[in-house]
Amino acid sequence: MISCRNLTRRFGDFTAVDNLSLEVAPGAICAFLGPNGAGKSTTVNMMTGLLPPTSGEVLVGGLNPAANPIQLKRRIGVLPEDLGLFDDLTVEEHLLLTGDIYGVPRAESRARTAQLLHALSLEHGRRTFAAACSHGMRKKTAFAMTLLPNPQVLFLDEPFEAIDPVTAKIMRDLLQSVARHGVTVFLTSHILSMVERIATQIVMIRKGQTVWNSTVGELPQSLEDHYFDLVETPVVEELEWLGPSRS
Amino acid sequence: MARAVALLRALALAYRRDWTTLQSLAGNNFFLLTLFLLQRAGMFVYLIMGLVMFFPLSTDPLRKIPPSRIALWPLARREWWLLRLASPWINPMTWGLVFLAAWGAGRAITVGLWTLAAGLFAAVFLISALPLPRGGGMFRPVPAFPGPLNQLMRKNVREILSTLDFYCAAILSASVLAFRVLGADLPHEALMAMTVLVVGALSSYAQSLFGLDGEGGLSRYRLLPVRGWQLLLAKDAAFLAALFPLLLPVAPVAGFGGALSVLAVGHSPSVRHPREQARWRFTTGAALGNGIVQMVALAMTVSGILSTSLWFFAPAACAWVGSLWWYGRQLDNTNFS
Repeated sequence: MISCRNLTRRFGDFTAVDNLSLEVAPGAICAFLGPNGAGKSTTVNMMTGLLPPTSGEVLVGGLNPAANPIQLKRRIGVLPEDLGLFDDLTVEEHLLLTGDIYGVPRAESRARTAQLLHALSLEHGRRTFAAACSHGMRKKTAFAMTLLPNPQVLFLDEPFEAIDPVTAKIMRDLLQSVARHGVTVFLTSHILSMVERIATQIVMIRKGQTVWNSTVGELPQSLEDHYFDLVETPVVEELEWLGPSRS
Repeated sequence: MARAVALLRALALAYRRDWTTLQSLAGNNFFLLTLFLLQRAGMFVYLIMGLVMFFPLSTDPLRKIPPSRIALWPLARREWWLLRLASPWINPMTWGLVFLAAWGAGRAITVGLWTLAAGLFAAVFLISALPLPRGGGMFRPVPAFPGPLNQLMRKNVREILSTLDFYCAAILSASVLAFRVLGADLPHEALMAMTVLVVGALSSYAQSLFGLDGEGGLSRYRLLPVRGWQLLLAKDAAFLAALFPLLLPVAPVAGFGGALSVLAVGHSPSVRHPREQARWRFTTGAALGNGIVQMVALAMTVSGILSTSLWFFAPAACAWVGSLWWYGRQLDNTNFS
């Protein structure tokens, strides 16, 4: 469903993504992991047609994002890092906007909106403007917008960050459910415990290059240990001035 | 005490930065052209702009601190009172009123006029200090529009309603309405001039159609499976919908034609040089050249329709359609990047 071959993106002298190749099968949940600045968002932007690659090729659902941007956008759902919400629309209006723009019939759009608001516990805030929503509500709204048009491929940039555990579980269950129905999920996350539970494929990236690509079952150790070994080792520094007995 | 002083210092810094956004008026093509063309005769327009700006200038500086933050800070009651009493003096409007009282005593400023200014300031200050319902609820009742761009148009209308340009145009329009209600006959030349002024007051906004969408909004536009011309159409339709009621007391058809020509010129800076705008400020236009072209096109269209023939509507409409198509394609290619 997603196919990248020698995908490269340079910004001047800096190479953000370097010769990245990967395949993601239909119905897979692929976790794309790496530290901040590793090239994850650049890769997702190239896959979703927001950024042209410097070289290499990417196909999503058989479509080249650069050549067929509108057709591709109709088939995919994207949860961007900045959530992409309008301050002047309410939670419910965002979902209705999505239904209108993606050509979902009005009655169906209203029914799906009601179901998503209920499933994500957003009913109480349906008439709240995005500017006044908490970060968790904004993230849930953007996530609901991603699901509403029933896309073939989902691209989710850090979906589990800054949300409560119950919502995280609901989102996880929803993603596993859509994957069972053949929807491909491509997500980035820093919450490795959640990734380990949900993903079927793990891809790790470091300084723009792939350092690991396998199914979850093929990991030689726990995901966290493997990540620390391959991607970056945490350095813990003691802060001497912290503590009740010190000033 | 040191805590309160530190807070006041930070507050003064934040307030000074906020005041610099008021310089947006200097980049507003309507203001610049009024200054350039009308000069001293434009006193009526400056007065309206001053009145519109008076309200955001009179707000309580303590509003700058998020309530959740102020509740967490370890401030003693005494320090809180110090903040409450000292913070109004961060606002230069307070000093302005004091100066006016001292300077105006026994001169041109009457006690009544000073009381009116001080009363207005105090009222706005107190209202702004009240906890208002969150979420822009005052613009909630914007009606629905037909078609798939409905929600985008509603959002765009709400954005226009949160600029000072709209209220300046509304006061100009209301003044014509009041003049007519009082039974006075509006001369043809005055009708033409007021139509140009009402549309012109919103012309800078037409140069910065995406200025209030923010990064999140632009990011969403990139993801939506719609063509660039559809995004521009949603913007233009909202602009015309907000403007049309204001045109009713003046010359609606001529004003509508003028608005189309203003939008046709405004697409270029909106798409090629998107500028971020602040709410409750005048819109800062692009280069002055754009403003001059806009105002000339506006004046020609309005005077053509009013003085000659309705046929002058056609070139304005054609220019708008052509601009929509051309800059829609540009939007497809550039994707706001």
